[in-house]
Amino acid sequence: MTLPAFELRQASSIAETLEILASEPKAQPLAGGTCLLVDARARKIRPETLVDLSRVTELRGIERDGDELVIGAMVTIAELLDSPLVAEHAPVLTAVCRKFAAALIRNRATIGGNLAHASPAADTAPPLLVLDAAIELRARGSVRHAPVAEFLVGPCRSDRRPGELLVSVRIPIRPAETRFAYEKIRLRKADAISVVSAAALHDRGDGAIRLALGAVAPTPIRARSAEGALKKSGLTPEGIADAARRAAEDVRPIDDIRGAADYRSRAVEVLVRRCLERLRGDGGEGPDGG
Amino acid sequence: MEARTVRLLVNGRTHEVALDPNVTLLQVLRDLGHTDVKSGCEKGDCGACAVLLDGKAVNSCLVLAWQAEGAEILTNAGLGTISDPHPIQEAFADAGAIQCGFCTPGMIVATKALLDRNPNPAEAEIREALSGNLCRCTGYGQIVEAVRLSAERLRDLGSSPASSLAGIRSASEDGREADPEDRLLVEGDETEAGEEA
Amino acid sequence: MDNVQPKPLPDVELPPLKQVGKPLRRVDALGKAVGATAYAADFTMPNMLHAKVLRSDRPHARIVRLDVSKARALPGVVCVLTGEDVKGAKLNTDMPGQTGRAARAGSDAPVLALDVVRYVGEPMALVAAETLETAEQALGLIEIEYEDLPAVFDPEEAMAPGAPILFAPDNVVSRYKIRKGDLESGMAEADLVVENTFRMPFVEHAYLEPDGGVAWVDEQGVINIRVCTQVVEHFRSVARALGVPQNRVRIRGTMVGGGFGSKEDVTVEIFLAFLTRETGRPVKLVYTREEAFAATSKRHPFTVTHRTGVKRDGRITASQVEMVADSGAYPYLTPYVLLYATGMATGPYRIDNVHVDSVAAATNQTYTSAFRGFGGPQAALGYEQQMDEIAKALDMDPLEVRRVNYMGTGDTTCTGQAITSAAWSEECATRALHVLGERSSGSPTVRIGRGLASYFQSYGRITWFHDTSRAWVGVEQDGTVVLRCGVPDIGAGQSNSICQIAAEILGVPLERVTIYATDSAVTPLAGTSTATRQLYMSGNAVSMAAGEIRKNLVGFASGELGVAPDRIDLGDGRALVVDEPSRSIELDDLAKRCAAVGIELSHLAQFNAPFTDGIDPETGQGDIWPDFTFGAVAVEVAVDVETGEIDLRKCAACHDVGRSINPAAVEGQIAGGTHQGLGYALMEDFVLDRGLIATPSFAEYLIPTSVDFPTTDVIILESGTGVGPFGAKGIGEPALTPAAPAVANAVADALGVRISELPLTPERVLRAVDRARAEGPLE
Repeated sequence: MTLPAFELRQASSIAETLEILASEPKAQPLAGGTCLLVDARARKIRPETLVDLSRVTELRGIERDGDELVIGAMVTIAELLDSPLVAEHAPVLTAVCRKFAAALIRNRATIGGNLAHASPAADTAPPLLVLDAAIELRARGSVRHAPVAEFLVGPCRSDRRPGELLVSVRIPIRPAETRFAYEKIRLRKADAISVVSAAALHDRGDGAIRLALGAVAPTPIRARSAEGALKKSGLTPEGIADAARRAAEDVRPIDDIRGAADYRSRAVEVLVRRCLERLRGDGGEGPDGG
Repeated sequence: MEARTVRLLVNGRTHEVALDPNVTLLQVLRDLGHTDVKSGCEKGDCGACAVLLDGKAVNSCLVLAWQAEGAEILTNAGLGTISDPHPIQEAFADAGAIQCGFCTPGMIVATKALLDRNPNPAEAEIREALSGNLCRCTGYGQIVEAVRLSAERLRDLGSSPASSLAGIRSASEDGREADPEDRLLVEGDETEAGEEA
Repeated sequence: MDNVQPKPLPDVELPPLKQVGKPLRRVDALGKAVGATAYAADFTMPNMLHAKVLRSDRPHARIVRLDVSKARALPGVVCVLTGEDVKGAKLNTDMPGQTGRAARAGSDAPVLALDVVRYVGEPMALVAAETLETAEQALGLIEIEYEDLPAVFDPEEAMAPGAPILFAPDNVVSRYKIRKGDLESGMAEADLVVENTFRMPFVEHAYLEPDGGVAWVDEQGVINIRVCTQVVEHFRSVARALGVPQNRVRIRGTMVGGGFGSKEDVTVEIFLAFLTRETGRPVKLVYTREEAFAATSKRHPFTVTHRTGVKRDGRITASQVEMVADSGAYPYLTPYVLLYATGMATGPYRIDNVHVDSVAAATNQTYTSAFRGFGGPQAALGYEQQMDEIAKALDMDPLEVRRVNYMGTGDTTCTGQAITSAAWSEECATRALHVLGERSSGSPTVRIGRGLASYFQSYGRITWFHDTSRAWVGVEQDGTVVLRCGVPDIGAGQSNSICQIAAEILGVPLERVTIYATDSAVTPLAGTSTATRQLYMSGNAVSMAAGEIRKNLVGFASGELGVAPDRIDLGDGRALVVDEPSRSIELDDLAKRCAAVGIELSHLAQFNAPFTDGIDPETGQGDIWPDFTFGAVAVEVAVDVETGEIDLRKCAACHDVGRSINPAAVEGQIAGGTHQGLGYALMEDFVLDRGLIATPSFAEYLIPTSVDFPTTDVIILESGTGVGPFGAKGIGEPALTPAAPAVANAVADALGVRISELPLTPERVLRAVDRARAEGPLE
C-alpha cells in the first residue's frame, strides 16, 4: 500500500528546520518514521508536508554539559543502548532501550520521536520521568524548556506547539550511588507494545524515590501518591506494599487488545512492588530467571 | 507532489531515479530490480525488508527513498551470488536454516550487521539481533545455528572487522557466554537494580 | 513424569542409503540464501496493470448500492469489475486438486459478492489500473450503501432458532457422528467419569509472503497465472468460474513463502484471471498484510467436550466427545476439517466404546479452512488435556495413564481403522520427557510445570478422494537427471525430497538433479501440497519413475558388464558391479549407449493412494486415511503467579517419521511446527469483535520471535513402517499437533488448575491463580 502524498523537506540544520516549521504551519517533523510512517500508511494521519530530520546532525550526539546529560532528539534507541555516557549516568534508560521494540526498529526509532509521538505506552517516558528529565523545544526565535511530565499531555498528544521542534532531552546527572529498577510486561518477549511498565529510581543524593508507570493512563505518569507515601515510610516492607497499592489506585488503565484494565491495575501493584524491592536490594525474580 | 531525482547507492551501484517524496526505500529498491528485498508487512513488524543502511540493519519499509540518498545501501543479494555466495549465505544454506526462504534475505542482513559488530556472539546476542525478523517456518533454532556457523567460518577466513565497541560488548574468546556482570545484553539483566560504578 | 527413561526401541533394520537419510544442502537453499529465488510478487510483465480488491467492512449486510462509476472514470483505471460484471460467478472451494470424486454441492463461494456480504473482508469489486497508487485511489472512489443485517458470531447461536441464515437451511455446514461399541455399558463399567470442555480460538497462518501473483493471456489465448499456491490444480476451479475449458488456464506456481494451508484455497488467482481476460493485459495483484489477514482463511475455532469413563487403573472404558466448530461465513474446507477432528477425536488410545458428535456452523466471521493439522490440533487439545485431567482425577502420573491406553499396531481408531504401521507413542513420549532433564526449581512467585502431549495425525489425503500423484524422471545424455513434477514447494523441502529420492535410486549425487516443478501445463500433476501428502504421494511416484529407469539402466549395464542384474548397483554416478566396483560404466556413457539402442531413459509414473469408499454415515466406521504419524512433545514452563507471564523453559519433540529423507529438513519441520503450536498456546489469537477484526496486523496478532522460546530439542525416530518412499511417514502437520496441548498441560501442572481456553495470556493465568488459591492447589 502506498503512502499518502506529501511534500518532503529535507533540512540540514536546526535553523533551517525551524524556518520551514515557521513558514509552513502544516509541516510536521519526521524523525525515525517508525510511528509516523505507519500511521500515514494507515491513513490515521495525512501529513501535507514532512520535514525530514535525518540530515540534521545538530540533533544527534550525546554529551555531558555540566551537570546534565544532553541527548539530541534524533539519537536512535540503538545509539542510546550503545552509549557509555547513558550507561553511566542514566542506566535506567539503557535498561529500557534494551527491551525497546526489536533490533531493526531500534536502529531508526529516536528518543525525540518516541516522546513527540506521546503514546501512553511510550517506552522512553517512564525512565525519563523518574530521571526528572526535561526537553528543549525551539521555534524560530524562541527556546523553551519543559519537564517531560508536562510535555506529555494526552494519548498521542504532546505539548509541541506550532513551529516547535523537540531538539534535545536533558537529564540531570545524579550521584553515583543512585539505584534504579525497571519492569515491563508485554505479550511476547520482543517487538510488542508494553501492557504495563514501571521504572523506579532511588536517588541516594536527596534520598527521594521516584516512580513512573507506562501504558496505564492517558500518558506515562509519575506515581505521585506512592512517592509521597514512600517519603514518609522509606523502603520498608510495609512501605513498599503500601506504595504499590497506591500506585495501582493512581492509574487509569483502559481495556484494549493487549489487556483488560483490571489486569493492568493488578500488574501495576506487582511491578511497583518488585521495583521497590529491587531498590531495597531484595532481589526476587521474574519468570525468566533474571 | 514534487518528484526529484535521487541518487541511490545500492550494492555498490548508483541508480539515478526520479521519485516522489512518499516512496519508501523498499518500494524503490524492488522497482529497481532488487527483488531480494521482500515486502512482508510494510510497517516494520516483520523484518523481511531489512537492508543495511550505512551498516545498520533497518526496515526499508520505514525509510523514505529520499532519506536514503547518500547512504550505502546493502541488500542480501549484494553480499553474494549463486556462483560466489557470501559465507553467511552459505552457512544458512548448509545449516538447514532456510525453509520457505522468504525471511532469509532479511535474516542474513541482520546477521551481517550483528557479525560486523560482534564477531563472536553468544546465543542470546544472536537471538536479540534477530528479534525484529519474523520467521514462521523454522522455529529459529537452525537459524541460530547458521549464525554461529557463519561466525565460525568468517573467523576462519579472518575477514570480519573487530568490534569497535569492545568496552560495551564483551565477546568472549571462544563464543561461550561472557561473564554476566560485564554484558549489558543478557536477558533478565533488565530486572536487576543498576548500580553506579 | 520426572526421571523418565526412554522406552527401548524394537530392532529396526533400515537398509543403508547413500543420499536419502543425509542432511544434504537442499536444492532450493542457495538460491534462497542469495536472494535469487523469485517469489510471486517479484515478477513483472511488460504493459502490466496493478489490481486492488474492494472488500466489505461489514460482517453482514445487504449491498443496497455499489456505484463504481467514479472509479471507472479515474484516469489510469482500465477496468472495474463487480459481482454483476462477473455474472455472479462462483468459486468451487471444495476438494481442491482432486482428480477423483465430484465436489460437494453448496460449497461454492461467490467470486465477488452479489447482493449480500457475509464477513468483513469479503471481496466486492476489482480494480485494475496503470499504477498501484491509481488502483488504491480508485477503491476510495467506489460508493457503497449497505443495509446492515442481523449477524451471528457464535456457532451455537448460529444453530439456535431465529439466527440469521448464512448457509441454508440452518447454518449447519457439516455434521458427523461416530458410534463405536456400546457407550452406555462402557460408562457403566467405569469407576469414574471425567468431563471437561476446552476452547480454541481463530488462528492466523501468518506466513511471511503475502498472497499474490501476476496473470496474462498468452499467444495461444491461454490465461497464465503465476501465483504462490499450494494447489496447481486450481486451474480447474478458475476455468469453471470463468466458463472456459480447463486446458485454457495455466497455473505457474512459484516457490511459496509459507502457506500452512491458507494457500490451499484459491486466493488471487480468480481475480487475476478475470482482470487479465477483461483487459487483455498482464495484471498483478499482491495482498497487503492486512488483506492477507482479513481475506484468507483461518484455523477453525472449536469447543470440544470430553466425557470419559475410566477405571481406577487408568484404563478408558468409554469416551464421549462433542465438537462444535466455527465455519465462518463460507464453508471452504470445513466439512473435511471437521471430519479430521472427528476421526482423530479420541487420540492415539485404544477405546472400545466411543461416541463422537461433531458439527460446524456458519457465522459472520472470516471463513475457516485448512491450517496445518486440519482439525487434528484441535482434537489433540481436547483429548490430551482430557488425559491430564483424567490423570489428576485418578491421582495418577500423566505418562502412566497414557501408557495404559496407548494404541499399538493392530488396534483401531474410533472409526475402526486399524493402525498398520508402528505406533511408537510411548517410545516418543518417554524420549521427549527424558530430554527435559532435571525439573527446574521454582520459587514462591514462579511455579514450574511440566506437560506432555502425545498425538496421532494422519498423513495422506482422505482415501475416498482417490488421491493420485505423478512425476516424470529422465536421465540426460551427460548423466544428469531431470525431474518434472507438479509439486508446489511451500518451504518444507517438497521439491528437494523428491530430488534426493531420485538421486538415491539413480545413484547420482544430489547436485546432478534438476527439478522443474509446479506448472500445470508442463509438469505432471502431483496434487496438492497439503494433508502431509507430498512426500508420500510424489515421493512414491518419483520412486516408481526412477525405479523404472533404474531397471533399464541396470538391465543394460548387466549386459555390457556381463554380470547378472542383481549384481549391478548404481552409485557415485555410475553403474558398478557390487564387490567389484572397478568394473563400472559412467552414467553418461551408459545413458548414451542406452539412447543409441532406443532404451527408455525417462519415465512418467502415477502413484495411487488406497481408494476407499467412505465411512458409514450412521456409525462413522471405516477407513479414512492411508496411515498415521505418532509422536509427542514435552515442555517445561515457569509461571509467574503475580504477573501471569509464562516463560517456556524447555521444549522437546520426538516423532517417528518412518524414514528421514533429509534429517535437516525433518528437524526443521519439527522445530517449526512445534513453534507454531507454542504460539497457538501462548500468544496467538485472531480476535473478531462482533465480526470486526481487532488484530489486523503483526503488531496486534503476535507470533513468536527469535527471543520468545528456547530451541526445541528434536528427536527423530525411524521405524521404517510408513507407506511413503523408503518407509517414510509424513511430518509436516504432525509436527504441530502436540505442541499446544503440551503447554496447556504444563501450565495446569504449574498452577494446579486448568485454563480451558487458548491462548494462555497473563490475564487468564491470573484468573486461574485466583481460582487455584480459592480452591486450594496454590496458597
